Amino acid sequence: MNGSSKRQLGKFDFVIFLATVFLSIFGLFCLYSAAAQYFSKAIILRQAIWLLAGLLIFCVALFIDYRKIVNFSYLFYGITILLLILVLAFGQTRGGSHRWINLGLFNLQPSELAKIALVFALSTYLGHRKRDSEKPSFVVGAALITLPVFCLILIEPDLGTALLLLPTALALLFIGGAKLRYLISIALASLLCVPVFWHFLKDYQKERLLVFINPNIDPLGAGYTIIQSKIAIGSGGIFGKGWLSGTQNTLNFLPERHTDFIFSVVGEEWGLLGCLVFVFLYCLIVYRGLRIVSLTSDIYGKLIATGFITIFAVQSVVNIAMTIGLSPVVGLTLPLVSYGGSSLIITLFSLGVVLNIGMRRSLF
Amino acid sequence: MRLRILGGVIFLFYFVTVLGLFNAQVTNYKIYRGLSEKNRIRILPLVSPRGKIYDRSKKLLVSNRIAFTVGVVYQELGDKEKILRILSDKLGIPEKKLSGKIEEAGINPFVPYSVADEVDKEKAIQLEEMKYKLQGVIVTARPMRDYLYGEKLSHVTGYLGKISKEELGKFRTYGYMLQDLVGKDGLEREYNEYLRGKSGGLQVEVDSKGRQLRVLALKEPAEGKDLYLEIDLELQDFCNDVLGEKSGAIIVMDPFTGGVLALASRPGYDPNAFVSSESAGEVNKILQDRALYPLLDRAIACAYPPGSVFKVVVAASVLDTGKLNETKTLFCGGSYRVGNRAFKCWKKPGHGTQSIREAIKNSCNVFFYQLGFIAGTDLLAEYARRFGFGEKTGIDLPGESAGFVPTIAWKKETLKESWFKGETANYAIGQGYLLVTPIQVLRMMAAVANGGELLVPHVVDRIENVELSQGKPQKIDINGESLEIIREGLRMVVNDPHGTGIYGRVKGVVVAGKTGTAENSLGKAHGWFSGFAPFEGPKLCLVVFVEHGGKGGVGASMIARKVIEKARGLGLL
Repeated sequence: MNGSSKRQLGKFDFVIFLATVFLSIFGLFCLYSAAAQYFSKAIILRQAIWLLAGLLIFCVALFIDYRKIVNFSYLFYGITILLLILVLAFGQTRGGSHRWINLGLFNLQPSELAKIALVFALSTYLGHRKRDSEKPSFVVGAALITLPVFCLILIEPDLGTALLLLPTALALLFIGGAKLRYLISIALASLLCVPVFWHFLKDYQKERLLVFINPNIDPLGAGYTIIQSKIAIGSGGIFGKGWLSGTQNTLNFLPERHTDFIFSVVGEEWGLLGCLVFVFLYCLIVYRGLRIVSLTSDIYGKLIATGFITIFAVQSVVNIAMTIGLSPVVGLTLPLVSYGGSSLIITLFSLGVVLNIGMRRSLF
Repeated sequence: MRLRILGGVIFLFYFVTVLGLFNAQVTNYKIYRGLSEKNRIRILPLVSPRGKIYDRSKKLLVSNRIAFTVGVVYQELGDKEKILRILSDKLGIPEKKLSGKIEEAGINPFVPYSVADEVDKEKAIQLEEMKYKLQGVIVTARPMRDYLYGEKLSHVTGYLGKISKEELGKFRTYGYMLQDLVGKDGLEREYNEYLRGKSGGLQVEVDSKGRQLRVLALKEPAEGKDLYLEIDLELQDFCNDVLGEKSGAIIVMDPFTGGVLALASRPGYDPNAFVSSESAGEVNKILQDRALYPLLDRAIACAYPPGSVFKVVVAASVLDTGKLNETKTLFCGGSYRVGNRAFKCWKKPGHGTQSIREAIKNSCNVFFYQLGFIAGTDLLAEYARRFGFGEKTGIDLPGESAGFVPTIAWKKETLKESWFKGETANYAIGQGYLLVTPIQVLRMMAAVANGGELLVPHVVDRIENVELSQGKPQKIDINGESLEIIREGLRMVVNDPHGTGIYGRVKGVVVAGKTGTAENSLGKAHGWFSGFAPFEGPKLCLVVFVEHGGKGGVGASMIARKVIEKARGLGLL
């Protein structure tokens, strides 16, 4: 190892790394409990393998200079758009939506990939046009990059991921220096688009949004998950019912508890204390991530890290909020914990990139 | 600066989320905990069979049979179309009606919902065998009341019905639940607390599909206690048959213990109709029969004028007070003038000169008009009360009437009219305002037979092994000689060649009794006969009452004869 890499290692953010590993392992335990009675235990094994694969990719992301990736941003973006079109045409259907492409070994979820591609593409674009940040075209260009991805994911349909892209793009424009006036106009314009947008939603999505307003309109259908999840978390109390002992969990009252609703299991079995540990770890990662943003002088690095941290934060907040009925059920996974390879690997990769940026910050 | 704002916004969201968690897990913890327990714990009631009822020779009268219920768990239902077709075919319920029931089951989709209540055993077994085709269909067995002799014992056993809202309010603390059946009449009602036993329950942990995973707790149901009656099934059966289509009542009782050997009231009804949810039509017919009122227990719940059977009381009043002695004779010329009105005897030419014994035998009205005036209205009322009229006998059946004993003061107070002399004459032959129930007449007759003990009649002998402590008989304040004279008169009623109750004569047994013919405003006179046998050392006493049955000396007496003969055949004499 040469001098520079030693210096880099010194700037390696062990806090983020340890928090990430801790969350992932804690997540495996929760998943084990969620799967214990009603699913095959094989999913634990699969998740563990994905975790290892993810950590490998995490390391790769650490040691490839992120600026090299920046050079391929637009190509990556183009490929992603292509994949998103492909998935609409040939993708596998699960629960009424086309989200997966079968790659033999595993199913690829292009919308997960799109999150990364968009962050890279936007950061590259906004970084290039740093000097024009005051101009309206700065914002318009960013919108033109975002909209195709947003629309393609929306019609899959994957409402959660599509909606996730909006605050991410906004955060990038905000940190990239766009004029507040324009940002506010965009926000207002999107609000005006809501009725049009509503028109394009599938029935089950409308239902989910309506149920968020009042879960009791359909207590056995769309509202069931929210009600049962709230019961699970609330009944956990301060100390929880104990690992493998949550009745809502082990008696199968919680649908989707290994994926989107894994946090209900956390709440029921580990109680408020367990929840606070989770929230603390997410906050810690976000805090250290934003610290990296502030310490990095390279505009590309700054923007990329902002994008990934925003995605990570929004996803974790919305997912937890959704399990206690504070947010509509939009189908976002809990980063690092929910069952699912694409989500886990992409999250680990993005955190790897953030650490990479942190390690190289002083070279510029 | 902008980075700080971004960070601030993000952490604000985390903070709100933490508040949400605190709200759910600390503030509303109890609510959610309760809901999660409710989710996983299901109480399965274990119905306890009601106690059985036996007659005096331990013949089963009321029992429980197994009824099969077919229910569905909506959530678990497989191919609804197919299941609907099979069930409709097997149960013989039209598909339309059945599909309505299945939709109702959807209201509470995890809980079994009954679609057919009474399925016979064969069909239940067939369905059970087809279980693999009928996912979500469950067949359960539960005890159901079975009145083996239906109508014949209807007024003794009573019937069951769903607990009413008012009753539930009153008895909830005793562990009753909404669907519980309670006795609505007869012994079922009077002894409900003993018969019903205690329902138990299973506390079961279920999963989201309602699958029962394990038993958390068990409360064993306690079976109801069995009743053993004084009733003799065969005699009861016979009393019903002998009344046949006539409305009326027959009660047979042990004159020393008050044990009721038979208590028949016609018309009866089939208590089984109230058990089955599928015989609502029949129940309505019973409830709305305005011509016959089959639910009315004529033996204890209806009061009628006694007619001449009341002469026993009148005779007792004057003999006991010494206002008349046994040798004193009075004359009957066929009618008796009170004021400016002639009160007739039933025998036009009159009975001539008679002592009290003969007057009882003849049931001479003119003689008793005079006794009425000798005694005076208030003394008649006083002795009527001593013999238990105007108050409930205390028999262990619900709905008893107290009857009515009029007095001069009552008339003045209530009707605002003064007492007419003629009313005293009528009083003395058991007509007018006086109203009595058959069981009261029987109790009076038992007192004459047993030497002045006013008994508390009872139907139930013991509950399981516990003998019931019977109400203490009251000693009527009357001297023995007076009763002896009356008894002699009653013997002559049946056994003298000119007695009014000669149709009550039984070969080989000396029967004593009194007939009665009660005029009433509703139609033909009611016929009465009440008596005891054998004359020496009586073993049973009885009352026969035939609504609008005409002269008691004929119809009622003949029925009494048949009943006594039957009792003799059964070895009860």
